[in-house]
Amino acid sequence: MRSRHRIASIAAVGLLAAIAATGFAQRTAPANSQAGVTVRIVDAAQKVLASLDEAGRAKVQFPFDGPQKARWSNLPSPMFQRTGLRLADVTPSQRTTIMNLLSTALSRDGYRKVLDIMRGDEVLRTQSAGAGRGGGRAGGGGPAFGENEYYLAFVGTPSVTAPWMLQFGGHHLAINLTLAGSQATMAPSLPAAQPASYTLEGRTVRPLGNENDKAFALVNALDAGQRGQAVLNYRVADLVLGPGQDGRTIQPEGIRASSLSTTQQQRLIDLVREWAGITNDAFAEPRLAEIKANLPNTYFAWSGPTTNGSVAYFRVQGPTLVIEYAPQGNVDHIHTIYRDPTNDYGAKFIAK
Amino acid sequence: MRNSSRSSTIRVLTALLIVVSADVSSAHRRDEYLQAARLGIEPDRVQIEVDLTPGIAVAGQVLAEVDGDANRSISSDETRAYAERVLSAIALDVDGVPVPLTLVDSFVPATDAVLEGEGTIRIRAVARIPLLADGSHHLRFRNAFRPDLGVYLANTLMPVGDRVTIRAQERDVDQRELLVDYNLRGDPATRLRQGLTVGFTGAIVLVANVWWRRRPREDV
Repeated sequence: MRSRHRIASIAAVGLLAAIAATGFAQRTAPANSQAGVTVRIVDAAQKVLASLDEAGRAKVQFPFDGPQKARWSNLPSPMFQRTGLRLADVTPSQRTTIMNLLSTALSRDGYRKVLDIMRGDEVLRTQSAGAGRGGGRAGGGGPAFGENEYYLAFVGTPSVTAPWMLQFGGHHLAINLTLAGSQATMAPSLPAAQPASYTLEGRTVRPLGNENDKAFALVNALDAGQRGQAVLNYRVADLVLGPGQDGRTIQPEGIRASSLSTTQQQRLIDLVREWAGITNDAFAEPRLAEIKANLPNTYFAWSGPTTNGSVAYFRVQGPTLVIEYAPQGNVDHIHTIYRDPTNDYGAKFIAK
Repeated sequence: MRNSSRSSTIRVLTALLIVVSADVSSAHRRDEYLQAARLGIEPDRVQIEVDLTPGIAVAGQVLAEVDGDANRSISSDETRAYAERVLSAIALDVDGVPVPLTLVDSFVPATDAVLEGEGTIRIRAVARIPLLADGSHHLRFRNAFRPDLGVYLANTLMPVGDRVTIRAQERDVDQRELLVDYNLRGDPATRLRQGLTVGFTGAIVLVANVWWRRRPREDV
């Protein structure tokens, strides 16, 4: 407990220094440049810290080189014991500040996706409670989920120069955004969905609908020969490189993107954008440029039927990219993973 | 009597957990036993990782097999015994020659996590490969553990370094069997040593030959 307070005190001192540095950086960086967006994210993070009392700061702040970085999962609590600042424990005003930080750090589509996943989890919680099963309730022995069961953590002190990480996650969501100066990576992250389709205020919401539809469109745009290479002859029941598989890279399979036409390659990039584009556009664009540069050595693999609406797994794997999309036995429960084997948790940025 | 009471307890616990966790787990595999294997092929060994996650409907059954004395606490001996059982159902051969697996490490999570269908049993093993010549080799991995419940993943990890290159992989439809064609390149240091040995031997033969030809001969 004492050490938590010590961390909070150090964080408070760091916060003051960082505010001064951010103020200077704000006056010099163009708003939509990587440096400018970094400044805005750090500023939004500092507003979150400033809105908290000492106990709150102690909950949200973790040392950069500690184990928190790799502590994320798709599972609900307490099947996976999360640490950080729980949304259920903050005031409405603090929650607004936190959501403002997320909307700053993510692209418009990325932020929408995160909200759709969280609302989906709330739908799941409501359905569970309605069925009298007590689902989504914390403290009662059952799994705790729903839109209040998401946690925020800062791994390292928010800074425009030193590396740090914004971690936000809960059931079916893990966003791990590592910032190092004006560079940022969102690998590894796990956007998932259950239910994969729900109705909210008369509107059908499919948090991962684009991922699904673009992948089916791509596999159906392949000719018979290409499909023969892309479609694996075996069943893939789950993510291969999901939570807990940091640092592992599997032998790629499927069709190489160099065997795709320009139009098909563009479809593949559009599909990848659904993950790489979750982060703010300022960071997504250089990331997509890197993925495009490695496209000749990128593979697309498919397992399952190719009619949209079927249960099908797919994987996109290149030198700096792993994406997996794995339905959990049916189309209404999807797990996905996004990794960069060369730069998970910003390893490449930090090594420089 | 003891076994019967143990099964009843586990059945009740499992039933309770199924009700409590029904919605979260509803779309997860409930009555299947996910077994994910990853193979790291190296010149002189194969590192094998197997992660086993029983679904909520079969977790009690699996746990009963792990918890030999049924005290709802998994000891290191029980963990090791279960891991050995799993490994005994896994066959590995290289170029048609069976290679035994040696357990390196094993882990069983908290029983509650297993019963909730979200606990993963982790097993690490190694298979030492006899000295192989440079060139093409063929590895066969087959997991026959609990085929009545098993859902399988089998993948080859990207080799570390440039001595091993994966040329092709084949699987059966359920991924119980994985065949890997790979290429092995000699160790540069070994090749250098071999080259030096050949060169040195050649030099000795050459010097000896010259000496033999030029040696003083007695006139006949």
